[in-house]
This record gives sequence, structure tokens and C-alpha cells, in this order.
Amino acid sequence: MTHRNFALAGGKIGTIIAVLVLLVWSVGPIYWSLATSFTSPTDLISAEPHFWPADMTLEHYAKLFGSTSMSQGNKVASVWPQFSRAIINSVITSVAATFITVAIAAFAAYAFARMKFPGRNVLFFVVVGTLAIPAYTVMIPLYRLMIALHLVDTYVGVTLIYVSAFLPLALWLMRSVYQSMPLSLEEAAWMDGAGRVYTLVRIIMPLAAPGLIAAAIITFLNAWGQFLVPLVFSPTLTTKPLTVLIPEFVSRNYVDYGLINAAGIIAIIPPVLVVLFLNRFLVSGLMAGATK
Amino acid sequence: MANLTISQLKKNYGNVEVLHGLDLTVNDGEFVSLIGESGCGKSTLLRMIAGLEEITDGTIAVDGRVINDVAPKDRDMAMVFQNYALYPHLTVAENMGFSLRLRNVPKAEIRPAVEDVAELLNLSPYLDRLPKALSGGQRQRVAMGRAIVRRPQVFLFDEPLSNLDAKLRVQMRVEIKALQRRLGTTSIYVTHDQMEAMTMSDRIVIMNHGKIEQIGAPLEVYDRPANVFVATFIGSPSMNLLDGVLERNADGIFIRTETAVIRVAGEISGQSGSNVIVGVRPEHLKIVADATEGSIPFDLDLIEPTGAETHLYGQTGKVLMTVALNDRFNAPLGSSLYLGIQEKHVHVFDKENGQRLN
Ligand SMILES: Nc1ncnc2c1ncn2[C@@H]1O[C@H](COP(=O)(O)OP(=O)(O)OP(=O)(O)O)[C@@H](O)[C@H]1O
Ligand SMILES: [Mg+2]
Repeated sequence: MTHRNFALAGGKIGTIIAVLVLLVWSVGPIYWSLATSFTSPTDLISAEPHFWPADMTLEHYAKLFGSTSMSQGNKVASVWPQFSRAIINSVITSVAATFITVAIAAFAAYAFARMKFPGRNVLFFVVVGTLAIPAYTVMIPLYRLMIALHLVDTYVGVTLIYVSAFLPLALWLMRSVYQSMPLSLEEAAWMDGAGRVYTLVRIIMPLAAPGLIAAAIITFLNAWGQFLVPLVFSPTLTTKPLTVLIPEFVSRNYVDYGLINAAGIIAIIPPVLVVLFLNRFLVSGLMAGATK
Repeated sequence: MANLTISQLKKNYGNVEVLHGLDLTVNDGEFVSLIGESGCGKSTLLRMIAGLEEITDGTIAVDGRVINDVAPKDRDMAMVFQNYALYPHLTVAENMGFSLRLRNVPKAEIRPAVEDVAELLNLSPYLDRLPKALSGGQRQRVAMGRAIVRRPQVFLFDEPLSNLDAKLRVQMRVEIKALQRRLGTTSIYVTHDQMEAMTMSDRIVIMNHGKIEQIGAPLEVYDRPANVFVATFIGSPSMNLLDGVLERNADGIFIRTETAVIRVAGEISGQSGSNVIVGVRPEHLKIVADATEGSIPFDLDLIEPTGAETHLYGQTGKVLMTVALNDRFNAPLGSSLYLGIQEKHVHVFDKENGQRLN
């Protein structure tokens, strides 16, 4: 084996190891959660670890979905009413935040990319700069503001906070998408008799679709996974999402690992579906043929 | 009807003035080319006419109406971009019909209008394709079709053929010209290919560093260049230039250069003894047998047969010269030859300001 081949083989092995580490890092916890959700409570506290439950049980899922279930030999009420409500809350706030964020970003980013107005760059960097502010520093003033506006524990309130938190990132992304598009396409549309808005909606946005989809995915995932904001602003089941509900399955003297993990697995499904669905529109090569 | 009048037009980018007060009138139905070196401001001028670039100073008027503040979409001009700028997500038919749809032309009329133009441009088989499934030449024609279909007042072309190969370029050149004749639409055509400018235009505008050097019909510009810049810019190989001194005596008018005394026909301004530049086009030189009156000694360095012509490169004194002969020619490199000139083909320019004197 020559030195060169050796180096190549070494590089390949390095790549494989890196991929494995990454896989274990990202898929490992999900696998562990899945395995746990099928493990009976007695096995859960056994000393030797199992990589897959010896005897699979659906009792944790039954506790989530059934009307009643057995826990430690006692008949208990299921958590389905709370759980289903939290799913709905998560979906509503995440979807609303995603639509509003992407819609605003689609137009505002265009203004930042193409229109000339005084203070354009300063304003943009101030908006994007808010990304650097840690959420907990604004929590208290934000809480007072939301109280004053009577928006605590309302969909509107939570969605507004999400939009203001995730808009800068979407704006940033969309501005660079617009900037990378050839100006001559817009100019051609203007010469053809189209106004600014028509050009944006009929020519630019269809071509910027992958960017809009990416912004939607990022925003949705961010909103779905939010913990701190709903912890403060969604105190009751009126708006409480899954992320806040699931940890509450920890009771004073008993941590129901099985239930928590079963709920966690269910909570992963909607974002996975959303990503799978939107991913189909994340095609490249839309610009092919526009220019020589 | 569209007469375009541009007066004292200026353009600044920041503090840099790139167009220095241009005056140009384009008559209705005329085909005018803008030609000049890269960066001289051709595209800037065209884009100002289109309304895509702000006007720093001066006016642009169509049929006497100043349009400085009219938005591009309301100018009723169509532009063919150098990079075509086709809408990649729309089919050929939709690309061409886009402007009609915006004008609220009924759908039933759009399709036939598009089909007519497609027929004209040999695009009929491709109407339902996306631009990415077309060749460069076909894309170019779609860009043309998009401009034609709405019958604008003015066509603006920014080097529309520069992305095509040589053969297709000649073919499209002929097609565009024929089309423009038929439609009779006022057209402004930016190019830096002088063959395109010479063959297509009613008049040529030669630009240099944001100024207009000369405006004239193709042959007028070729035969009587207004100054040294135009003389060397138009024509390939470019015009030979020799420094000399103007002499008037009883026998006529002569230019005495370092190596020859060249007779000038006709009248000429400029005083005896003033410094001038003599210009002779390569094709107006011929090889003569011996030193005769007015002949120029020529030391041959290189022979370049192009097929149609033979180009000779060499020098007289220390000045490089080019000769273009219609015939085949052979002589040992390094030969000392003599060049004859027809006096009616001699151009004389002021040495100081480069302006034409005869
Ligand atoms: N947006 C701009 N900002 C600053 N300077 C510019 C801008 N656009 C063009 N210029 C300058 O203006 C001058 C004219 O440019 P223009 O594009 O009109 O040249 P051109 O004659 O079309 O050249 P080419 O043949 O290369 O297309 C150039 O010196 C160029 O550097
Ligand atoms: Mg240009």
C-alpha cells in the first residue's frame, strides 16, 4: 500500500467514524426513547441495561390514549384529555407562527434586499441583531407587557412572541435568497409591465420557493420545540403545548419514564411529517434556463 | 410613432460621472446601434432609456413628452437582455404572453398572438417547454419573442447576440434586422461587435468614456471618421496612423511623415506646418514595385492569410503598419517593399485634438 493509498484509506475510515458518531449522537437518544417507551416499569428499574425491551409492552401508550389504564397495579385515569389538548395547542401555535413568520419574511426580506430607503442596512442589522439577545433577558419585561395586553395564556400572545423571535432568522435567510437572484428577471418583468408587488408574487416568490420552504421548516421546528416561552406564557391547558406538558408527568414521588418517553415519541411525529411533506418542495434547479 | 430625444443626459454613480451630457435623437422606425469599448456607458444609457437607471441630469423624451419620471412599466418599451432573463418557471408561451396578460388582453387573443410570433421566430414546436429545455439560440429567440409580441413603441437590445456562437450570431443578426424592418419599430441596439453595428444599423453612435464621439450612417462613419478614436475603433484591421506635418505649396497639399510625403486630395483645414496625423485603412494600401512619388517604404514582418484577404504586418520607420490585400501574396519576411496610397482615401486629423481636418 503506497503512502497515498494509505492516506486515502485513512481519510475514508475517518469519514466513516465521523458519520457513526453523528448517527449515534442524533439518532441514539430517539432510539433510547423509543425502546424505553416499550419497556415495562419493572424492567425500567432493573440493574442490567437492555438495548431492546425483553418483553415489549404497550402500557405506556395505553396510558396516553386509553380512557383508563393500570399503573403499579392500580386503575388510574389516562392523561389523554391533557395530552390531546396539548397536541392541539402545539399544532395551532406552531402552524400560526410559521405562516405569519414566513409571510412577513417573504415581503420584508424583499424590501431589505432590493428597495432603497434610508437606514436600510442599519435597520436590518438591528433586527437580525436581536438574534444575539438571550431569551431570558427579555422574559420579565415581556411578561409585564403581555400581562398589560391581556395576552398571557392566549394563542395570539404565544404566536406573537414566536413570530417576533423567529422572524429575524427567516428574514435573514430570505434576504440572501432574494439577493442571489438575478436582478434582470425583475427588470424584465417591469419592462413587461408588471408592478413591484406583482413581480414579487408572480416571478420572484415562485423561484424563491425553496428558501420560503426552508424558512417554514426552521420556524416550525423552532416553534414546536419551544419550552421557555410557553413555560412562562402558557400556564394552563388553554394554550399549554406538549413541551411543557410532558415534563409534568413527573409526579412528586414517581418519575414515569415510560409515559414521558411514549409521549416524547408521539411529539416527534408531527414535525417529522411536516419536514417530510415540505421537503418535497425543497427542489433545486428552479432557476435553470433563466439566463445563459 | 416614437421619436426619442435625449438631451444633455448625465449619469453619476456616487461621485463618479459616467455619462457626460449626451445628445441623441432617434427617429421613428430607425435602427440605431450604440457601440464602444467595454465600460464606456452603453448599457447605462440603454437602461436609462428603459427607466431601469435613474437620470442624474438631462432629459429623455418620447415624441416630445419628457419621460424622466415615468416608471419602466409605463414606458411601453421592450428590452432584450444580454442574459435573456427568461422566467424559468413559465413555459415559452407563458413567457411570451406575460406582458399581454398584464395588459388584460383576453386569453383567447393571447394564444394566437403568441403563436404568430412563435411562427415568425421558428419557436412553434417549443411553446410548451420550459426555458431550461431550450438551446442558447432558442432562448435568445424567446427573449426576442417576448419583446415583439406586445408591439412596443421602442425596442431596446443590450448585446442580445453576445452569448451565441459565430454562425448563429450572423443568422440572428439577419433575422433581427429583417424583423425590425417589417415591424418598423424604433430600435436601439447595444453591441461591441462592429460587424453587427455596421450591417444592422441605420445609424451608429460611437461612444467613448461616456461621451458620443460620432453619430452617422455606417458607411459615413467608416469613410469619414470624425476623429482619431472613431477612425481606429471602426474597421478591422484598424486604420494605420502616421504622424506628419501639413505642407501646402503650389503643387497641392502634402503630409510629410518620417518616411514619406503623402498627397492629400480635396480641401483641408489646418495651417501649413501644423502637426497632423495621417490615417490610411489597410485595404487602401497596395504593394507597388518601386519607390515612386508618395509611396511608403514598408519592411515586412509577417504575412497572415485569412482566406478572403491577406494581411501584411510590418513597419515604416518605427511605426507599425497593416496592409490588407484582396489577393494572395508571398514575399520573404524581412523584404523591403513599397506601399502605394490612393489620395482620396487619405484621412487627416489634427494632432492636438484628434479631430478630422479633411
Ligand atoms: N452600479 C454601478 N455602480 C458604479 N459604477 C457603475 C455601475 N454600473 C456601471 N458602472 C460604471 O459605469 C461605467 C459604464 O458602465 P456600462 O455598464 O454602461 O458599460 P458598457 O459600455 O455597457 O460596457 P460593456 O460593454 O462591458 O457592457 C463603467 O465604468 C462602470 O464601471
Ligand atoms: Mg454593457
